[in-house]
Amino acid sequence: MSNANSSESYLLLVEFVHKHLDFHDAELQSILDMHGIVVGTDCHFLPLPNSDTDTTADGDRGSFQNHSTTSKSKSNSNKRPFRILSFAWKSIGSKYAVCDEDPDSDAASPTRNGGSNDTVNLITALARCTLVRSVMELWGAGPSIDDCATSIRMGSSLRRHREGRHLRRRNIGNTKQNDSTPIKPYPERTWKITIHTLGSTYTRQEQNEMRSKFSFLQFPGPVQMKHPDDEYLFIREVELDAMGGAVYPRHCKGDDGKTKKELIPENDARPPLACYFGRVLGNGTLGRNWRGSNRLFRYSLKKRTYLGPTSMDSELSLIMTNLAQVRKGSFAFDPFVGTGSILLAAALRGARAFGTDIDLRVLRGRSSTENIVSNFKQYDLPPPELVRSDNSIYQRHFRKHLPLFDAIVTDPPYGIRAGARKSGSRRGDGEARPIAEEFRYDHVAQTRPYAVSDVMADLLNVAAMTLVMGGRLTYVIPSMLDFDAEEDLPRHDCLRVVSVCYQPLQTELGRRTVTMEKVKDYDERRREEYLEGTWVNGPQSAEKVANIRERLMEAARKKPGYEEKAAWRKQKRKETKEAKKRAKLEGVGRVAVDSECRHANDDDGRD
Amino acid sequence: MRLLTHNFLKSNVKGTENGYPLNIEVTTINCEESPLDKLFLLNLLPKVNYPALRTAVQQISQHCVPPLPEIPEQLDVSDKESNQNLDHETLKNLHRVLFDVYLIEGWLVCPDTGRKFPVKEGIPNMILHEDEI
Repeated sequence: MSNANSSESYLLLVEFVHKHLDFHDAELQSILDMHGIVVGTDCHFLPLPNSDTDTTADGDRGSFQNHSTTSKSKSNSNKRPFRILSFAWKSIGSKYAVCDEDPDSDAASPTRNGGSNDTVNLITALARCTLVRSVMELWGAGPSIDDCATSIRMGSSLRRHREGRHLRRRNIGNTKQNDSTPIKPYPERTWKITIHTLGSTYTRQEQNEMRSKFSFLQFPGPVQMKHPDDEYLFIREVELDAMGGAVYPRHCKGDDGKTKKELIPENDARPPLACYFGRVLGNGTLGRNWRGSNRLFRYSLKKRTYLGPTSMDSELSLIMTNLAQVRKGSFAFDPFVGTGSILLAAALRGARAFGTDIDLRVLRGRSSTENIVSNFKQYDLPPPELVRSDNSIYQRHFRKHLPLFDAIVTDPPYGIRAGARKSGSRRGDGEARPIAEEFRYDHVAQTRPYAVSDVMADLLNVAAMTLVMGGRLTYVIPSMLDFDAEEDLPRHDCLRVVSVCYQPLQTELGRRTVTMEKVKDYDERRREEYLEGTWVNGPQSAEKVANIRERLMEAARKKPGYEEKAAWRKQKRKETKEAKKRAKLEGVGRVAVDSECRHANDDDGRD
Repeated sequence: MRLLTHNFLKSNVKGTENGYPLNIEVTTINCEESPLDKLFLLNLLPKVNYPALRTAVQQISQHCVPPLPEIPEQLDVSDKESNQNLDHETLKNLHRVLFDVYLIEGWLVCPDTGRKFPVKEGIPNMILHEDEI
């Protein structure tokens, strides 16, 4: 930490979970921005120890645009799961708080229009990041445990902690700025030191040796293993591979995978990548493993009553709401609402939800107890507004209105698991057969295929039209290997790209979560111009997205063993059909082979 | 369907320019009280077409048990300042008519062509038949 001005700065170490690697920075950046924390002004990113290989710690440059092509996405697996955030010391305890608060309360996010005079609680703010595993007050860091201990000695973190001024909770509603609830005095605070060794295991004795390096801190209070007042954390970072395991593992697996693992001396002797020591934040309310207490599990798809093959996994939905900066009081819109998973995530953030879809069956759900509204009821949320409409003609369904939505969060139909439709006749000549009056009441309106390139063009245009200034559109777009994020993403003159995050799904296929922000007012006179300018490379880029289904099937057909697999699947389908038939005849009722739910699990994405 | 949504919907039948606001025919209507969401309401008000809201309230009021509260005859909602100064009672009533009333079954009728858009299970179906596009 040689360049950290330690007496002036307050440092936080953020640890990410080993998932959705390409989303880490974009989500963090989005949350900081949402709380009015400007990187480069209010805080800075500092490089990690041994960071010459780390290309992401950009120091002050707060731009985290991830234009990941496949070559870059491979190197993402070498991205380190830590970030160091530096705040001006004098802002802690005044502008920013780091004390434990009710996890359900808002972190006083400033409104878009003006600054807020409320203190922003950094813990509550960062807890919103789905991909953050823990946050700690960084006392020392270095390329070895001894360097780490030295840097603590050189810094002032211990002294500050003894004084504890920044830890006091501000009284809400208190007019006097300096008044605050006192915290437990330093000599009485219980404590413990947790050892966190990435990708390796150490014996208890080895861990205690590490602990002893920090005994110079001489904490006066008693050690307490469960729920201490202060949990200190020593982290030993090593290089991790794509799966989150150590590149140079300390032990090799025993022959049967169970017996005591043998030490690999060369690996064991390797120095760590970095060592960090600090005090865990949010301990009282969130615990060290925030993800568990992030209540994600409660929102898991497994517990949801209404699911379909296109339901977005809850984790990605929540990340999308963060990228789109959905907050309490937001008006969130999903033009392709489907089973409502993403809208649900938005509502969980406190937004009012509005969803449209052209597919009436999916809107209505399977029954009165299995539909979008019942999903909302399950989580005690006010029901969403739902309209059956066609997004390709949004302006014909809705009157001209002032920009309405703060966030548009959606997973558009791109024809892989569900074909996109728009209103109109299926007949090739475009002429529709007139419907006799007596049949009109029961007539089911025909819909016709809706090219993916048009889906995207219309989506961006509706976003430009209906988003408030500064509002965000976050959507998912599938892409195969030849997709170039720079050239092939759809564009709109009123929207600028904030981030692009890549998620690999299969060997050939991945998907990108794109976030755009409205930066220019929409001009209706330029509608045609906007729509035509969507695809920079014209038909080429549009094609890349449009034909994914066909190309996937092509690629699958070429794979060895395809014939057998296809035959086996056909056989299975036949068997299921016959079983259903038999069950019906025997009057058993509906056989619970719900193939629709087969795909909907938390790691959704496989076709 | 809440009156909030109705305020933005219009008829998209080919050829009509005056498809707003839609007239409401009630078959089944529900009322479910919810706490006043002041933050959201104040944010929303400048975007609401107030005369259309008042007309809608009048059209459905007779079907509501208990009857809907009175909202001011005229209101300039475009001024954010004056919206903030509205008294609590008015805000509560506006919240109630915008958020707490649900049309479950009924029709939305185009004032120009008379085309009826069905509302079933609370979801308005605005899709035109293929010969109406």
